[in-house]
Amino acid sequence: MHPKDETELCEILSEAQDPVRISGGDTRSDFSIDGNGLSTLGLSGIVDYVPGALTMVARTGTPLSEIQSVLAAEGQQLAFEPSDYKSVLNRSGTSTIGGVFATNSSGARRIQCGAARDFLLGVRFVDGQGKLIKNGGRVMKNVTGYDLVKLMAGSWGTLGVMSEVSFKVLPAPGKTASLLLETRNHKVAVAAMAAALGSPYDVSGAAYLPGSGACMIRVEGFEKSVAHRLNGLQGRLKEFGKIELLYDQEAKSRWEDLRCLSPFCDVSGDLWRISVKPSDGPKVYEKAAFTKGFYDWAGGLIWGIAEPDVDPRLALNGVGGHATRVRGAAREIAKFHPPSKAIAAINAAIRKRFDPKGILNRGLMG
Amino acid sequence: MQTFFKEEQLHVPDFKRSNEILRACVHCGFCTATCPTYQVLGDELDSPRGRIYLIKDMLEQGRTPDAATVKHIDRCLSCLACMTTCPSGVHYMHLVDHARAYIEENYKRPLSDRFLRFVLAAILPYPMRFRLAMFAAKLSRPILRRFPDARIRAMADMVPKTIPPVSRNDDAQSFASKGVRKKRVALMTGCAQKALNTDINDATIRLLTRLGCEVVVAEGQGCCGALTHHMGKTDQSHKFAQTNLSVWGKEIHSKGLDAIIINTSGCGTTIKDYGHMFRDTNLAEDAKTVSARAMDITEFLMTLDVPESQTKSIKVAYHAACSLQHGQQVKTHPKTLLKAFGFDVVEPQDAHLCCGSAGTYNLLQPEISTALKERKVKTLMATKPDVIAAGNIGCMMQIGSAAEVPVVHTVELLDWATGGPVPAAVSHCGWSKIQ
Amino acid sequence: MQMPSPDTAVLINKEHILARLRAVLPADCVIDDERETKAYECDALSAYRCPPLAVVLPRTTEEVAAVLKTCYDLSVPVVPRGSGTSLAGGALPTEDSVILGVSRLNAVLETDYDNRFIRVQTGRTNLSVSGAVEENGFFYAPDPSSQLACAIAGNIAMNSGGAHCLKYGVTSNNLMGVRMVSMEGEILDIGGAHLDAEGLDLLGVICGSEGQFGVVTEATLRILHKPEGARPVLIGFDSNEVAGACVSDIIKAGVLPVAIEFMDRPCIRATDDFSGAGYPDCEALLIIEVEGSDDEIKEQLDKITKIARTHNPVELREAGSAEEAARIWLGRKSAFGAMGQLNDYMCLDGTIPVTELPYVLRRIGEMSREFGLDVGNVFHAGDGNMHPLILYNANKPGDLETCEAFGAEILKLCVEVGGCLTGEHGVGIEKRDLMDFQFNAEDLEAQMRIKDVFDPKWLLNPAKVFPLKHTEDRRKNRVQFAAHAAE
Repeated sequence: MHPKDETELCEILSEAQDPVRISGGDTRSDFSIDGNGLSTLGLSGIVDYVPGALTMVARTGTPLSEIQSVLAAEGQQLAFEPSDYKSVLNRSGTSTIGGVFATNSSGARRIQCGAARDFLLGVRFVDGQGKLIKNGGRVMKNVTGYDLVKLMAGSWGTLGVMSEVSFKVLPAPGKTASLLLETRNHKVAVAAMAAALGSPYDVSGAAYLPGSGACMIRVEGFEKSVAHRLNGLQGRLKEFGKIELLYDQEAKSRWEDLRCLSPFCDVSGDLWRISVKPSDGPKVYEKAAFTKGFYDWAGGLIWGIAEPDVDPRLALNGVGGHATRVRGAAREIAKFHPPSKAIAAINAAIRKRFDPKGILNRGLMG
Repeated sequence: MQTFFKEEQLHVPDFKRSNEILRACVHCGFCTATCPTYQVLGDELDSPRGRIYLIKDMLEQGRTPDAATVKHIDRCLSCLACMTTCPSGVHYMHLVDHARAYIEENYKRPLSDRFLRFVLAAILPYPMRFRLAMFAAKLSRPILRRFPDARIRAMADMVPKTIPPVSRNDDAQSFASKGVRKKRVALMTGCAQKALNTDINDATIRLLTRLGCEVVVAEGQGCCGALTHHMGKTDQSHKFAQTNLSVWGKEIHSKGLDAIIINTSGCGTTIKDYGHMFRDTNLAEDAKTVSARAMDITEFLMTLDVPESQTKSIKVAYHAACSLQHGQQVKTHPKTLLKAFGFDVVEPQDAHLCCGSAGTYNLLQPEISTALKERKVKTLMATKPDVIAAGNIGCMMQIGSAAEVPVVHTVELLDWATGGPVPAAVSHCGWSKIQ
Repeated sequence: MQMPSPDTAVLINKEHILARLRAVLPADCVIDDERETKAYECDALSAYRCPPLAVVLPRTTEEVAAVLKTCYDLSVPVVPRGSGTSLAGGALPTEDSVILGVSRLNAVLETDYDNRFIRVQTGRTNLSVSGAVEENGFFYAPDPSSQLACAIAGNIAMNSGGAHCLKYGVTSNNLMGVRMVSMEGEILDIGGAHLDAEGLDLLGVICGSEGQFGVVTEATLRILHKPEGARPVLIGFDSNEVAGACVSDIIKAGVLPVAIEFMDRPCIRATDDFSGAGYPDCEALLIIEVEGSDDEIKEQLDKITKIARTHNPVELREAGSAEEAARIWLGRKSAFGAMGQLNDYMCLDGTIPVTELPYVLRRIGEMSREFGLDVGNVFHAGDGNMHPLILYNANKPGDLETCEAFGAEILKLCVEVGGCLTGEHGVGIEKRDLMDFQFNAEDLEAQMRIKDVFDPKWLLNPAKVFPLKHTEDRRKNRVQFAAHAAE
């Protein structure tokens, strides 16, 4: 099914009785769930872009690449750096902006300026009964009514099919630099990242790759400012290990590698994504028995490869946080983190009200 | 805020003024954040905004005050932190003064309350009676401490270990300036202060004469009226004030006065408000004249050329009395002077919060007062001071009863730094060697 | 303001309800003397008032749970209240409701600098959260102008913003977890010290739900290290529209200050006396703040002033000291209260695309003349969050109604140019009836479905957010519940 506009989308969903599998660019969608394919690619195009207001409105099937190039022409960008799963999931093509928001896909800058959900300003979506609903708008501050925008971000299409999104964009930084700290000790790396984020130097990325022993701290902005902050960070971090500085493309390419999950592209096994309190990171990483992995978000986000029968969630016993399987066949171990009973009941009740027929991406999100 | 006064009410000056005040309030709630009782009790009714609402309703209806309203207004310290915070310029002081007078006039308190208030009003403003009462209380302290009424116990506890002998400096007289006379000032010698601590006036007189001022202790002056004013006993407080107006008026009209110096900031707030208190009477002009000349000792010192002093490496935690920082908005002068005189000045966290002394408050509301005292002493001691300085005898007594370091009046330190004796309270600290 | 008629079953049942509340709370936590409950009849929107049935002031999450369970069982509406600083009537009671105040829940439970969060009870004031971490160089970013007094509970309910959210985001962007008590009295933990909670973004939809989903008693908040320095610059213009155009140009140029605040002449005058900020004498003033080291500040200010100069400012002045900067902000943050010295006011909160500022400011000026009421403008220009303050005389019959009509026109204008009714204050009671203008019935129905999940009896913060006609069926259901409980 390829609706060309919202009217068609409404018709399709109001008439649908069988499960529907929603897809955009199919760069991250889960093929294991059953249902008739419903593609948003027909809902494409940038509707409105006002650089002076830092806002863009686009239909959800709009390719991410198109959006990025239009923004780049005005010196702006999507600050939340959506992850790219293509290499790890062995997919091709381009992600859509709808898919990015539906999965709340956020990269390294999460620690500084927020996740995709923090940039999403408004949505238009069609619920499981074919009703068109709008929420939010295209202004940066909006508390008019309940925030269904947040609810839609990261709901994986289970509450409705988004047809249009409006979001906040930011000026692209003039200069990028990274401080590379060498350490083999996970705890030292996490402590160094905590020290960096506990400084006034506005760090926009903090990741650690245990394989290469590289702890990366990123700063961005105007040239003089970047130099000043790098200098300040060096002073604070020298006690943690040997430091090297990377600039511009050399710095950017390493962060781009993380965004694309390149460390895992030729590695087999299940890929997991675990969100924890940063200081719990090393403990969880160790217990999860990952064969390969790295930390983002200053230690608060762990990406790791586990053997197919290993359940890294066991590592979260007694620790706050959650784990999601990004890659790996559906088995007894759930893809999405099972919430507590009370929360699960709320989730189910919300889902039932938006999708009473139970047809939207059935099988996703518990 | 919208108000609902009847036309005839607005012809009564106090009601007219209260209406103006209430109309300025926008009910934003900023005042709740700096109100000490709200911090302790967490109830809107024990915040300025809640009290304003209670007062508004009571006055608009012109009704007999009810016990609940009275309870919450009684709990107000009159620290006036709310006035410092208020962006709308709501004159809470005049409103709560009106409410207190209204309650005193229209509400019949329980017998024990009435008795207690009568006793306090009949003793505290009179130094001789106060002195005798303290001696009596000291003797009967073991019995008093077993009283079921916490207020009685608070009174017994308030009596200091040593009651100083009467200072002859407080008698009516004039002290000539050392060297050329630059200014002529009257010293408000206070009432309770004279009985509790004679060092403060002594130090003030030494300091002022040393700096070239003739200091007059005017014949017949007495209590400023604040103690009774805050109990709503307007007749009594106005009588006290009238006496002072005539005493100082005589001085002003004969030899002239550059200022009326007050070293108990609680009195300062009231004397500065005489102009308002007597605004619609035939004493209006006199009151305005006196209020205009009333100055806190630190305010006045800032107008003189004060000598520079050497650094003393003595850490002074400055406690800002509410009547000084909020009532009179004198915030920086005491600290500026202490620093200029060589002291290392620190301030506690939440310096805007009251210590719980507040005139007779510590006697009438001992639970809340104690909670505030503990908070204040904790934050003061956290600065690890050598000594605590304040500009109000009430605060000094309150904090002194719990702090582990001596508490002195700001002028005692300033007097010592300019050649006076080491303040009595710190005589055991070996400071005489420092200078 | 039309309010639904109170539920007579609840009113009749009052003594029983009080007895049940007293059974689960200490004596000093229940207030029902009508002289006392009157002081809780409104929040910072004092134009609308209604004394509640009773007020409860619990001290623990467990006591909150006990209150909610009791009220749920007896089908008594509950109005949660933080510090009562809402400008939208978010804490306005109904005659048949119990006010549940969280002011006594004000402790700091945990501070963690390594993981950059603080966990507090929600009765704590916004500013005192920053105060708790200040010594270690940290702060909590959202800074509503009422931050001195407003509670975190209210911030979460309304998803509050503030001057500095241009860079740091609003409450929702800085809220990591909550402990919330549901209307049934169940204690729920959502999110925590990790970023991004699992599953549906319940945290995101709870934040800004105006106290209609549950009572949040604890919050885990993100804290940030303070910048090396910050400096505001004052730029005065001879018209509102030019100032508005300057804002859009600055944002377009790729400079993103931490705050861009706007004040027009009436507000400048009213606040300058109180704050001693020394604002320039001009029609419109921008306060733009940038952060960083001295060099960084200079670099950004150079870019900003270069743009500003193309708009012929009448004055351009950087704060010379930290004290001056503090006074500049004190003035801005006290603006609403200070306007109260001029007259009563109603404060609006519509947000518009930044590029529409000049047009909307001009239209507000024209409407002010049409309606015959003065308007002061003081707002967060960087994100288009306007705060027109309509001045009126509350003691003059008819003035409030004119003011309401004028306010409605301004908010409709905001929606027409692509904005919304409220940017940070919330819908509350004030903008309830304008929701139809921004949303259609389906949009509202979708929102109400979430309410159905969290509060099936529709007891929490009644008669707010949605126009009454849309909630009629649900309220009828609730009354049936109550009648049943009374039997």
